[in-house]
Amino acid sequence: MQNAPSIEEQMEIHRRMILTRRLEEILGGLAKDGKTRGPLHRCDGQEAVGVAGCMALRANDYVCTTHRGHHVYVGKGMDPRRIVAEIMGRETGYCRGRGGHMLLGDASTGMIGGNAIVGAGIPAAAGMALSIQVMKEDRVAMAVFGDGAAQTGIAHEAMNMAGLWKLPVIFLLENNQYGLTVRQEVQSPVEDLFIRAAGYGMPGLKVDGNDVVAVYQAVAEAAARARRNDGPTLIEAKTYRMQGFSTSDMGGYQSEAEMAPWRDRDPIRLSAETLSKSIGSEAVAEIAEAAEVEIQAAFALALADPFPVFEFHRPSGAYTEV
Amino acid sequence: MATPIRVDSAGGEYMENVVILEWAVGLGSSVTAGETLVTVETAKAATDIDAPVDGYLTAIFAEPGAEVPLSAVLGLIGVTAGDTAFDGELDEASASDEERSETIHPQPERVAPDPSTSEDRIVASPAARRQAARLGLDLRRLGASSPSGRIKLRDLPAQGTLVESRPVAALPVDDNGPLSVYRSGRESGVPILLIHGFGADAVSWSPIERELARQAPVIRLDLPNHGQSPHRRVGRFANLARDITKAFDDLCVEDVHLVGHSLGGASALALADVRPRRVASLTLIAPGGLGPRIDGEFIEGLARASCPDSLGPWLRHMVCDPKMIGDDFVRAAMASRMDAGLRAAQLQMARDLFPDATQGFDLRAALERLECPTRLIWGRSDAILPWQHALAAPGRVGLHLFEATGHAPQLERTDAVLAILRAQIALSGVRA
Amino acid sequence: MAIMRYAEALNAALREEMGRDPRVFMFGEDIGRYGGVFKVSRGLMDEFGEGRIRDTPISEQALTAMAVSAAMTGTRPILEIMYADFVPLCMDALVNQASVFGYLWEGQIEIPFVLRTQGGGGVGTGAQHAKSLDVFLAHIPGIKVVAPVTPADAKGMLKAAIRDPQPVIFLEHKLLYNTRGEVANEEDVLVPLGKARVAISGTDISIFASSKMVVEAEAAAKLLAKDGIGAEVIDLRTLRPLDLSAIKASIAKTHHAVVVNEGWNFCGYVSELSATIMDHCFDDLDAPVSRVAMPDMPIPYSEPLEAAVIPNASRIAEAARRTLA
Repeated sequence: MQNAPSIEEQMEIHRRMILTRRLEEILGGLAKDGKTRGPLHRCDGQEAVGVAGCMALRANDYVCTTHRGHHVYVGKGMDPRRIVAEIMGRETGYCRGRGGHMLLGDASTGMIGGNAIVGAGIPAAAGMALSIQVMKEDRVAMAVFGDGAAQTGIAHEAMNMAGLWKLPVIFLLENNQYGLTVRQEVQSPVEDLFIRAAGYGMPGLKVDGNDVVAVYQAVAEAAARARRNDGPTLIEAKTYRMQGFSTSDMGGYQSEAEMAPWRDRDPIRLSAETLSKSIGSEAVAEIAEAAEVEIQAAFALALADPFPVFEFHRPSGAYTEV
Repeated sequence: MATPIRVDSAGGEYMENVVILEWAVGLGSSVTAGETLVTVETAKAATDIDAPVDGYLTAIFAEPGAEVPLSAVLGLIGVTAGDTAFDGELDEASASDEERSETIHPQPERVAPDPSTSEDRIVASPAARRQAARLGLDLRRLGASSPSGRIKLRDLPAQGTLVESRPVAALPVDDNGPLSVYRSGRESGVPILLIHGFGADAVSWSPIERELARQAPVIRLDLPNHGQSPHRRVGRFANLARDITKAFDDLCVEDVHLVGHSLGGASALALADVRPRRVASLTLIAPGGLGPRIDGEFIEGLARASCPDSLGPWLRHMVCDPKMIGDDFVRAAMASRMDAGLRAAQLQMARDLFPDATQGFDLRAALERLECPTRLIWGRSDAILPWQHALAAPGRVGLHLFEATGHAPQLERTDAVLAILRAQIALSGVRA
Repeated sequence: MAIMRYAEALNAALREEMGRDPRVFMFGEDIGRYGGVFKVSRGLMDEFGEGRIRDTPISEQALTAMAVSAAMTGTRPILEIMYADFVPLCMDALVNQASVFGYLWEGQIEIPFVLRTQGGGGVGTGAQHAKSLDVFLAHIPGIKVVAPVTPADAKGMLKAAIRDPQPVIFLEHKLLYNTRGEVANEEDVLVPLGKARVAISGTDISIFASSKMVVEAEAAAKLLAKDGIGAEVIDLRTLRPLDLSAIKASIAKTHHAVVVNEGWNFCGYVSELSATIMDHCFDDLDAPVSRVAMPDMPIPYSEPLEAAVIPNASRIAEAARRTLA
């Protein structure tokens, strides 16, 4: 299979998905205990898109994501301990406690960054690709965004320019079926959003968003196209949001009947099944155990980290003098 | 027609405002002349204001806690219990003071001062307020030139101009007009003539004057280049003495009890020397002219001081206990020195009379010649003129030396000085 | 030194900076082949190619967002937004992206882009092409806003803006492009951002203005001089960060202030200037600060109507006289 992940890569994808899932579950517990601040947007069930998508990129490629981006953070190789620290408002967090869970950024892994304005990541990735093109660099940029963001005006503007200028950018549309509480079909006249690619003169395709290999392959192929200066690709990864919009979501609009088939197709379970065939179920279980140790250590360390001390941000100041 | 209750000269030296402490008599009560009506606080102490006439307390315009100008009408004493008829227009002091015009026409339902009422609020720009505070000026006494009614910076003297003005350049053309004279107290009797010291003015006699006025006519004059007197180059002390003599002659009084402080003491001594038969008694408080020494820095600093910050230290240097010169005192003192021309004229006068920090005139011979009852009052801690100069006095002259007292015994030992003055007057009163 | 038009000074700045730094590129509507609606980028596409001088679709929202993210990833974009009236379309990228991430990701990224635009009325462009929305922009933490009036400052400040590590909004005025002035030829003459300029020295009243309003303020100062009033005209040059010490120094001298901006009055840039003066110079004030700004209504088209709303020398002079009364 062209552009398919190696076994080692699949194992790493699996590990990062488990890290992400456990991150979400532990955070969910802390949120229930009132130990987190603000809303948390969990990506349970969507791990394959962010993790496998990012794993198909190189370390120096750029990626930006949404308010629901923990899988992209972990997928791009960010340190879970510093992710947790940021979410818990600590000095050791990626933004020294300034950002919170929706707005993490890490230039060292090219994850710049989370963005809580729906749709904002799409032109952001296009702009990064523009920068790459102007500087003639061997990189690509990728926006991971949702079906809700796909309906913004800025998505159109950015994709139009990306297609026009053949920018080295990948639009990874993570269709989790919901824009907050409103189902996708109430927001768009078409069921498949990837067909819009045709209007921008770029290839568009649909993949199973819960299948890591499918996601990986699609992104790897799009990246290769971008590196060849053949321009952008729109990939629609169909998946499902298992934990509601956020920790402040009252729920009630996602039925059990609707969720059950997706639960059966949990991306981690699917990944474990696939991997077991190659490396055996024991090795797969070891990955999970190691991931558990790592995530527990990440929380233990992060929660012991100090809170930041407030300092006025001089470059933001209104006056030349203090 | 009701009689106004005034603070008059109850304020301490230099004070322009007083604070109402307590009314001893309730609204509507009958009062008798001399009875204490109200206690006010000056920078120095609490002072009782007595009823000027018999009658009824028919209006209270200044409630406890209110700060009012020295010239304010505090209340009214009516002929009957309902008599609040009082024509403020007849009253010069009040009529000239716009800020008080509201209180001249009593409105019983709003007698209590309300700090939130607009007429209590002085409308002045922030810059004008700051400048007034720096100069110790009372904004109430200033008019607004702006159609907005707001007192602006231009309505105040510019501090910068004052500080920078060269004394000689600022000297106006010599004004040979008469010295200003203030009369108060009783109609009959031998008047007491008070002559202030360098850098002060007639108003500075306030606490003494008020007391003496109870028993005798009191006359105060402003030295040239001081108070309201004209500004002119005095040159030598002899010229100053001539000025004083002329002013004395113009008073057309037969004789006086003469009291002088510091340079005013020297002036009084010189006057007594040339008009010996018309001086019933002479009291010299830390007088000049009895020796060469003088604190030249004090004289120069006092004359130059153009703001409370520079004036305060010199005023405090003048007394033994600097704590008695509060910030209010300094600001009020500064208010009387606002005129740059005045300060320039005084500086020139100081340089003429005290060249090289020396008293350039010697009156010890005059002291020898005196025949009237004479007393010398001096503080042993006087930092301006050394008390030892008093030892030049011949045996006939009484000597009162106060411990822990500086250059202003009349301020620092008011009661004792008053007692000495009363004794002096009583003694010579026999002769009068 | 050479005599240059304002537009030429900007063109020279762009050419010099693009020549010295390959990371600098420029994009916007009609800026390439056509050379810009106001001809600021004339000739640059021929010189630097279509890769670095890009004509764009009409997509202000995405263009601004792309300028922000391109700046985060190693280039120094210059974006031309044809009219300041279109600035509201750019707002998310400025308010929610550039401003936020300059702080959140401080130390990891810089956002060195310049957004050039032009505003102002006076030539009958109507309600959607004549506004001055300076205050919309100056409100945003972490974004510098400059509005030079002279060709020399236009060149020196545009060069400084391009080299600045922070986002800079460069506000031009359609009536300034043809004004002439002496401009330095040398490549390394930069005019620092955040420094005001005393355009006319005076002792009686301070008039604070920027961009085209400096021209009006200078004319007002001449009117006032006939009455013996010495007006000091301070060309703010940079609207954010504001040169507070220049403001304080002038008011300490004159004790009176008129603040001028071509934008709306209510919640306007003039309001901020007024509040700033109140905060920092209250005790120096001898009169309330006077605001001269656009009346709080849309800009009408017809010449007498438009003339009635745009602040001018006589309105500034009138405000000064009122303040001094």
